[in-house]
Amino acid sequence: MANDTGLDARLKRIEEIVAALDSDTLDLDEALALFEEGVAHLGHAREMLRKTELRVEELIGPEGDAVEEMSVRDEGEAEGADG
Amino acid sequence: MTDNTLDLFRDSSRPDSDVDRPRVTSQPPAPRVWTVRQVNRASRLLLEETLPRLWVGGEVANFRRQRSGHCYFTLKDEVAQLRCVMFRRDAARLPADPEEGMTLRVFGGLTLYEARGVFQLIVSRLETESEGGMWKLAFDRLRARLDAEGLTDPSRKRALPAFPRTVGIVTSPTSAALRDVVAVVARRAPWLRLLVRGTRVQGVGAGDEIAAAVSRLAEVPDVDVIVVARGGGSIEDLWGFNEEAVARAVALSPVPVVSGVGHETDVTICDLVADLRAATPSAAAEAVAPDRQWVAGRLETLGQRLGRGLAGQVRSRRWWLDQLADSLFRRGRRRVHASRDAMAAARAHMVAAMSARMRHEASRLSEAAAALDALSPLSTLARGYAVPLGRDGKLLRRAGDFPRGRDFSLRVVDGYVPCAVTGRPTDPATRAAREG
Repeated sequence: MANDTGLDARLKRIEEIVAALDSDTLDLDEALALFEEGVAHLGHAREMLRKTELRVEELIGPEGDAVEEMSVRDEGEAEGADG
Repeated sequence: MTDNTLDLFRDSSRPDSDVDRPRVTSQPPAPRVWTVRQVNRASRLLLEETLPRLWVGGEVANFRRQRSGHCYFTLKDEVAQLRCVMFRRDAARLPADPEEGMTLRVFGGLTLYEARGVFQLIVSRLETESEGGMWKLAFDRLRARLDAEGLTDPSRKRALPAFPRTVGIVTSPTSAALRDVVAVVARRAPWLRLLVRGTRVQGVGAGDEIAAAVSRLAEVPDVDVIVVARGGGSIEDLWGFNEEAVARAVALSPVPVVSGVGHETDVTICDLVADLRAATPSAAAEAVAPDRQWVAGRLETLGQRLGRGLAGQVRSRRWWLDQLADSLFRRGRRRVHASRDAMAAARAHMVAAMSARMRHEASRLSEAAAALDALSPLSTLARGYAVPLGRDGKLLRRAGDFPRGRDFSLRVVDGYVPCAVTGRPTDPATRAAREG
C-alpha cells in the first residue's frame, strides 16, 4: 500500500491480518510476512497521527478538481491545540 | 398627454371655458368627448398621486404565478375584491405561493392598468398572518413532498466514514462557520484534508449555489464526506438551505452529507435530508473528524492484537519443534548409545541445525517486533532458544564454528552460560555413512 493510503484502508488491512494470524492455516513465512506488513501499516498510521498541520484547500473553477491552498484565519481558538 | 389629463380636471372646474359655456341657442352644446386612453391615464394618475402605498389585509383567491414570474391574485373580504399583481422581482423572494383562502397582508400601491381599465394593487411585499408566515408554509409543503418521496426517511441515512481522507465543506469562504470547522478539525484530526467549495449562503439564488457546490464536491474522487455549514440567522437568512435544489443535491450525493446549519433550534430541509444533522458547524466538524486520542487508542489495541496473533503462531511452532527435538534426540540416543562422542556430536549437530533455522526466523521476528513500540511478544530468547556466541561476541552459526575444545557462551534469556565443545562436529552425510 502506498504511503498516502488512508487510515481507513490501513486499519481494515490490519484487522484482516489479525484475523489471519488468529487462524491455523498459515505458514510461518506467511505469518511473518503478514505481521511485518501489519507493523508497517501501524507505523504509517502512527506517523499520520503525528501530523500537526491541517491542509485546507479551496475547490475552484466550474469543473474538474483544481484546488488552491486556502488560508483560514483562526481567531486564536486553535492556537493552543495539542500536538 | 399630460396636457390632456390636466384638461380633464380643468374642464370640470372652469365653467367659463368656451367649450362648456352654455349657449343661448336652443341646441344643447355638443359635449366634449374624451378618449378612453385619456380617461384611464387620468384615473391612474389620480390613484397613484392621491393614495400613498399601503398595507391591505384580506383573503387570497386565484393566486397564479405566470411563466414570466409575475403573480396575479385577488384579495377579498366579505363584500369586496381587489385585484393584485406582484411582479417578478418581488415575487422571486416569495418562498412559496400562498394557498387559496389564506389570510394575507400585502403592501403596495394602487394603480389602474390602463390597457384594460382594471383597478389593481401592485404588491411589493406579501406576508401571511399565520405563525411562521410564508416561510413555514413553504417549508411544510416541501417537507411533505420530500417525506412522500422518502428522501427524509431515516433508513436512507448512511453511516459516516470512520476515517475520511478528505472532507468537503460547503460554506461561505469568509464565514465564522468555516473558521469553526477548521479549528475543530485542526484540533482533532490534523491529518485530514479539507476541501472548501465557497458559496453564498443567503439571498436569492443561494440555494442553487449550495446545491451546485454539494454536487461539485461529491465528484472529487478523494472526498469521503461533505459538510454543509452556516452559522445562525433569521429564517430568511437560512432560506437557501430550505430550497428543493439543496434537498435534491444532498439526497443524490454519493458520499454522506452532514448538515451543520444555524443554531441548535434551527431545523432546515438540508438537515432533514442529510445523512447526519449536526446542531452547529462545530458539531458537524466533530462528527466527521475522528479524535486523535481515540485513533491512537485504536492503533494501540490493533498493535497488541497483531503481536498476540504472531505470538500464537510462534507458540504452536515451538511446541511442534520441541516435540520434534525430543523424538530426534531419543532416536539418536538409541542408535549411538555406544559412543559418547558421537552422541554429543549428534546432539550438537541437531542443536546447530535447528538453531540455524530458528535464528533465521528469530531475527526476522525480532526485527519486526522492534518496529512495534511497546510490544515485544517476540523476545527470541524468552521463547527458550539460546544463541551461541564466540569470545569475540560473534554468532557461531555453523558446525565448523565449533572445533573441539573451543570455548563459547550460550546467550539465554537471563544471562550467559559458559560452554566448551567436547566432541568433533560432524555433518549429517558423514555421520550417516559412519553409522551405515
